[in-house]
This record gives sequence, C-alpha cells and structure tokens, in this order.
Amino acid sequence: MPSRAEPRAAAEWGLRVVVFALLAWAFWRAIRPVAVAAVGQANAAVVRPALERWITAPPGAVHVTMDRGAVLPAYARHWLVALRREGTAVTWNATTALGPTAIDAEPVADPRGATRVRVAAPGGATVVVRDVLGPLDSLRVAAGGQGVTVTIPASVRGIDGVADGTSARGAVTEALTLRRLLVLGRAGWEAKFLVRSLEEEGWTVDLRLAVTPKTRVIQGHIAAIDTARYAAVIAVDSSVAPAVPHIAAYVRSGGGLVVVGSAARVFRGLDSGTPGPRLRDSGGLYPVTALVPDAVVLERQGNVVAVAARRVERGRVVQVGYDDSWRWRMTGGDSAVARHRAWWTALVASVAYAPSTERAPPPDADAAPLAHLIDALGPPAPTMRAGRAPPDPTRSPWVFGALLAALLLEWGSRRLRGRR
Amino acid sequence: MSEFVFATAKYESGDWDAAPLVPANLIDSVARYTAIDVAPRGVVVPLTSREMFEYPLLYVTGHLPLRFTDAERRNVQKYLDRGGMMFVDDHNHDTHGVFHQTATEELTRTAGRLVDLPNTHELYQCFFAFPDGPPNTTHELNGWGDNLVHDHLQAVLRGNRIEVLYSSKDYSSEWGYHPDSKRFNEVDNTRFGVNIIVYALTR
Repeated sequence: MPSRAEPRAAAEWGLRVVVFALLAWAFWRAIRPVAVAAVGQANAAVVRPALERWITAPPGAVHVTMDRGAVLPAYARHWLVALRREGTAVTWNATTALGPTAIDAEPVADPRGATRVRVAAPGGATVVVRDVLGPLDSLRVAAGGQGVTVTIPASVRGIDGVADGTSARGAVTEALTLRRLLVLGRAGWEAKFLVRSLEEEGWTVDLRLAVTPKTRVIQGHIAAIDTARYAAVIAVDSSVAPAVPHIAAYVRSGGGLVVVGSAARVFRGLDSGTPGPRLRDSGGLYPVTALVPDAVVLERQGNVVAVAARRVERGRVVQVGYDDSWRWRMTGGDSAVARHRAWWTALVASVAYAPSTERAPPPDADAAPLAHLIDALGPPAPTMRAGRAPPDPTRSPWVFGALLAALLLEWGSRRLRGRR
Repeated sequence: MSEFVFATAKYESGDWDAAPLVPANLIDSVARYTAIDVAPRGVVVPLTSREMFEYPLLYVTGHLPLRFTDAERRNVQKYLDRGGMMFVDDHNHDTHGVFHQTATEELTRTAGRLVDLPNTHELYQCFFAFPDGPPNTTHELNGWGDNLVHDHLQAVLRGNRIEVLYSSKDYSSEWGYHPDSKRFNEVDNTRFGVNIIVYALTR
C-alpha cells in the first residue's frame, strides 16, 4: 500500500514540471521568429492598405516608420490602437525628428471674421499656417521660443499649422455673436475717426456726441446700456460722467469698455491707473500712472504706459492714453488708414462681449498629433528586426502569476510535510 | 484732445483768399453756439503741404478758375481717402462763371461725381434745423450772379457721408463780415456754417 507521502511528492513533481514548462514557454515566446509588418512611409497611401490587411489578418506585431517629419494621421493611429487591443504588438519610430507641433484656433470678436491661431513649435522652426485654400501666413519662431501667434483676418473652420514639415490640424469650435458698439463723448476728431475706422471694419456703431451740454448728435437708436445690445462702450472723454453708473453696471455684468484719454478720471474703480499730465510730444498722450495691481500693460510709449487693461468682475476694461489717434490716420504713411483701423479693431476685440456657441470639431481635427501618438502608442521604439518580437505587456503578468503560484504551492507542500 | 481749427485751403490757380472774414465769423459762431473746443484763429494750409492733413475740414473758395496742380490733386485725393472733408463755395454765385465751371470739373476729376444733396440730408438737421434745405443767401435773393436761387447743394458722397460739399450759393459773401456785426442780424446767417462744422466733426 503506498504511503500518504507519495501522492504529495507526485504533486510537487507536477508543480515543478509546470514551472519549467512555463519558463520554457516564456523563453520560446521571447526568441521565436514572428511575422513583423513594417511600413516604410507614414503617408496615408501606404499605411491605409497595410492597415486594411492587418485588420483582417492581424500579425503578431507591427512597426510603423515615419519619415519626412510626417506624423501618422489620426485615423491610422486609431486603427493601430484597435489592433493592439486585439493582441498585436504595435511600435513606431521616425527616421527624422518629429516636431512637437500643436495648434489652437479661436475666433476673434471682429465683424469681418478673424481667427487667432497659436502654433507650438520649436525655436527656429518655420511655421506655415494654412487652410484648405492654401497658405495664409508664414512665420519663424524666435530662437528659444515655443511657438507663434498669428491673427488671420478671416473666419476659418479647420486650419493647419505646419512647422518644419510636421503638421497639426486645428479647428475653431466656437461661433461668436457680435452686438453693436456705443461711442459716447463730445463732438471732435477723435470720436469721428475712431467711429469711421470701426464702421469701415464692419462694426455697427451707435453714437451720442455732445455739441452743447444739452444738444447731442445721435446716430442709431441709443438703448439701455446692457450686454443684450452692446458688445462694448467707448468713452471718448469725461463728458460721459452722467452715464458712468450705468456703464459700470454694464461692465460688471460682462460688457467691454474702452476709456480714452482723460475720460479715465470719471471711471474710478474701473480704470487701470490714473491719467497723468498730457504729453503733447507723444502725439497727445495721457500716460497711465499709478497702475492698479491687477492691471496689465498692453502698450508703452518710451518709459510711460500708453495702454493698460484689467478685468472688472465679468467685464473687461482697456484704458487708452492716446486721445489724438486720428492724427495717425490722417498724417501717417501709406498704410495709415489700415493701421488705424486695425489698431482700433484689435483694441475693441480685446474687450468686446461676444457670447459664443459651441460647434462640433471636424472629424479630421488633430491639434497635437505627436502628443496624441505618444499617448496612444507609447514612445518611439527601435526598428523591429525579423525574428525578434517585442515583449508582450498584456500577457507577461499572467505568466508571472502562474509561475509564482506554482512555486508557492510546491514550496508550501514541502514545508508542510509530516504535519497532520 | 485737439481743438477744432478752421482751415482755409490755399491753391495755386486762383484767389484762394477771396473771403478773409469768413473764418473769423464761423469761429465766432462755433464758440457762440456750441461747446466745441475751437481755436480762436484759423489757419491757411497749402494743398501741396503735409500740413493740410492736420485739418480734417478744409474751406475752399474763390472767383477765379480752380485748377489743381498734379501735386495738389494727389494730396486732395489722399486727404479725402483718409476721411477729410472739403467745403467748396463759389464766391461768384454764378453757374456760368469760371470758378463754377472749373471747380466742378476739377472736383469731379479729383474726387468723383457731384450730385444734388437731398434737402433731407442730416447735414441740415445735425445742429440747427433747416427743414427746407440750404438757407438762401442775399446774393441769390437779390438776383446777382446767375440770378438763380439754388435749391440744393451738391456733394461727392462716399456711402451717405459727404466728402466734398459744393455750394453755388456764395456763402463766402453771405458770411464775409466782422463777427461783431451779427448783432444787427435778426437771424444769424452763419448758423448753417455751424452745421457744416458739426457735421464734419461727427460724421
């Protein structure tokens, strides 16, 4: 009759066999020759047919090589992620350095439509911004810089940023609603020409200019000053004093305010600083002095602050020291009219209240392709050679767990020999 | 902020200084009726100078032919493109006279087609109200010049804005007197001049 120890010894032998078998299997997995699919080019013409083959007959591993700085398109990335989830090891590398290009686009409050585009790119890179119709602008990133910002005078939906051959596709996902502007002040050249420039740019302007204390020239239908009607109020001088409480409430509820020259004196609590004595040599400038702590300087004239801005609750206020900007338009060079118009348009856009509505991004948007690639497939790996399979991260824990369990059982069985 | 300075245009072809009392009279009226910050003295600016761009309203008058030189024409076109406005008045009050004949031709060539300005235009309402359009002058009513009462002023318009305002009514004679003499008028006849200045400053 066999002793009770014999089945235990047999079980221990069995466990040892399991451990060796698992180790042998893992070793074989590590050295076995595998079918590695490699794609020489990353452009869609080459990747797409390969992906179509791989989806129907998944190989053990695939490796994608990108050249000429082109990052894998988003659809191919999604396919490769799906392949990996089905058990295919996926790796990639690039023959040339891929630029860390990313793009962000947002609409600007401009009636003619404008888009602010920021492209992240390495210092020294040449950035080309383009839409479906072709290039729109080209800039070089400053040495040590991290990208460029460009404002395109057009509404675009999808936009590409290409930095040294690496492309990113952004999308404007907001649509702005622009309301009217209201200009208040005394009759004078400054009010006349700033209104003219803004109207030429496409803004609809309501106007109330005092000719005498009781007589005003009015354009448009002057309604209550609120965000339902006005995108911004422009106060040209201190004659707006009686309307200051209404304007302050409007700003606090989200409205935009441009305060020109000495008008800041009547906007206590909304101003970025105190208007100093007027400097005639600087083309008529009330320097913004004694800046409040949260004010941001937007423009300097020599040593003095010419334009500053701040937030006031939900609204924004920009304080302009110049009160004779009309002279730029009348007496400047050949581009003076366009520059005066652009300067005022940008100023108003920086404060204008413009409620936005969301738009779905186009399906091919890929704002940061390299970041998305690394996020989805991991960092680049060396080129795969035939017969060398990459480690299989999805199966290794199971093999390790089985090995550990068998060894523990075998060890425990030996330790417990002789106990009843 | 800049004060309003009344500027008279000096051109090479004719008697640009034919109405020397008009500037002072209109300056007096602007100061008298409005709160507009106005310079006490006017200036004379050549149409060939860069200085003319400092004054977005120019007064042009004369009896003799008005022919711009090439340099004057270029400057005037640039001036109007940038938003300047010109008030041109025929001091002859004569549509058959040389000033009218040459000025209308020159302005059409330089600025564009002159059209009759509707008497409902905001120019006639922007400060004093002139419901019947441009006020008549004594020269018209007395039958001098072309013996016509002109119902309309003419203008070169950009959109609805006046770039060049042209008058055949001879306001240069009507307003050409010392400001102190206003007290003898039952109704100040320079009030329409105030409208032109207010319009230029606000539109």
